[in-house]
Amino acid sequence: MPALPRKVILSGSDCFHLVLDKHAHKYGTGSNVMRIVFQSQEKIAAQQLSAQLNASPLVQWLCNIRLHSGGLFGRPYWEYTGGNQPIPFYEHQYGQAGELPATLLQRDLPLRQQHFIECDLVHYPDDTTAIVISWNHILLDGRGIGMLIQHLNELHEGQPARSADVLFPPPEKKANWPAYIRNMYRVKSFIEKSSRAPIASVASGYGKEPSQFHTQLVQFSVEETARIQQQATAAGARFGPNLFYLSCCAQAVRARLDEKNIPGPFWIPIPYDGRLRGSFGPVITNTVAFLFYRLERDQLHQLPTTVAALQQQMTDQMRDKMPQRYSMLLSMMRHIPLNLYYFLVNRRGKGAFASFLYSSTGDSFNKTDRFMGIPVEHVTIYPSPTFPPGLTFSFLKHREALNINIAYSPDIVPQADLQLLIARLRQMLLGSGSE
Amino acid sequence: MEESVIIADIRQFIETNILAGGVELTPDTNLQQAGIDSFSTVEIILFLERNFNTPVPDDKLLPENFQTLRSLARLVRELSATN
Repeated sequence: MPALPRKVILSGSDCFHLVLDKHAHKYGTGSNVMRIVFQSQEKIAAQQLSAQLNASPLVQWLCNIRLHSGGLFGRPYWEYTGGNQPIPFYEHQYGQAGELPATLLQRDLPLRQQHFIECDLVHYPDDTTAIVISWNHILLDGRGIGMLIQHLNELHEGQPARSADVLFPPPEKKANWPAYIRNMYRVKSFIEKSSRAPIASVASGYGKEPSQFHTQLVQFSVEETARIQQQATAAGARFGPNLFYLSCCAQAVRARLDEKNIPGPFWIPIPYDGRLRGSFGPVITNTVAFLFYRLERDQLHQLPTTVAALQQQMTDQMRDKMPQRYSMLLSMMRHIPLNLYYFLVNRRGKGAFASFLYSSTGDSFNKTDRFMGIPVEHVTIYPSPTFPPGLTFSFLKHREALNINIAYSPDIVPQADLQLLIARLRQMLLGSGSE
Repeated sequence: MEESVIIADIRQFIETNILAGGVELTPDTNLQQAGIDSFSTVEIILFLERNFNTPVPDDKLLPENFQTLRSLARLVRELSATN
């Protein structure tokens, strides 16, 4: 077993998630908890699965840590307590096959706890099972959870645990403060220009706290997914289907906002994984920066126009090394006390962080056919409810079939509106009467 | 410019800026399998434009041109010849 680090300093991206956590608690949406769900046709023994999970040094670490603020101008860090608390493990019997109990989906993983990962086993009447791993996003991003699953699978196959050097973030280089400060002004200027008011959001005009959040899964067959890929190519998506997916979401949301007479362009931050490619690790820590897309009304009429606008903005931002610059800015912001950091982030957008939220795991789970030896039929990600804006699209491909999990508040997007939005989204993705 | 020289330049860029240490890259390694994703592809295109002074037009942004270091080098030679 690798030696587990006593202290892990939060990355800039982790600290940004601390700000989001503070924001979420202000609006009563709970912590930034993500869930990955493995649906299996098999009946699974809880005790065996629990023991296997607890054999992982990473799971042990995630269940025995506490957050320290780092003091005034210090960087927050995780302290490993060295305790032996096992992973919290819950079992449910649930009548609706393929769905998850509300008590599970609403359970929080707040920072005051000393564990940041949990497992649920949901048994259905037809003897099928769902394994649900929930984690707090402050510790692990989407790529991180993919690698955690890989690590657990490797342990199950009897391979030795990977070293702490790859499981945890590497030592940081010394900060170059003059470069940080020059960079800060450049990023600030870009974001201010990109997000200049007015920005339309699904939450526009909705000022109070939403009372509830739900998720809705939209599934496509393998044949439909292949057709979506063809539509992406036909719409001019040159770098994979991701920007086509985003274009379809944007147009579907725009159509809904038009019906509500909510004008204004969109502003959408999209995660960008800052890890070197082809590597394993780090698993712990968020390494995500963002690309920021602004879509004007006249760029939202036809899919090829939307895709072209997004591609141009992506290329321009990567040419300017904006993701790397944004990461540098976030690293610098770690030294600011959390309350001041929150004030600085929140004052500009007055709480409206984005028009809507979007993420995609790409092909990370496409070939996942087992979880710790258990055959897996479906894999789904449940994004955390985030308000504002109160609408998040999470795309995932498994066994060549695309699924989209939509986290929404019915206070902001009522059920009837959501069904219209989903119908439009399907039409756009599949190319049936989208324009 | 010789194909081998172009390959060496692109390889050095990818190894330094995109891929983790230890990922083996030969002229015929499938770049996607080595870990190159859509964002990395954009970085490679920007490098080609900067380093070889060859804008990559939309109609050349095809998966087969970005499959290996060798196919990238052929693309650079083709674009250089037409510019």
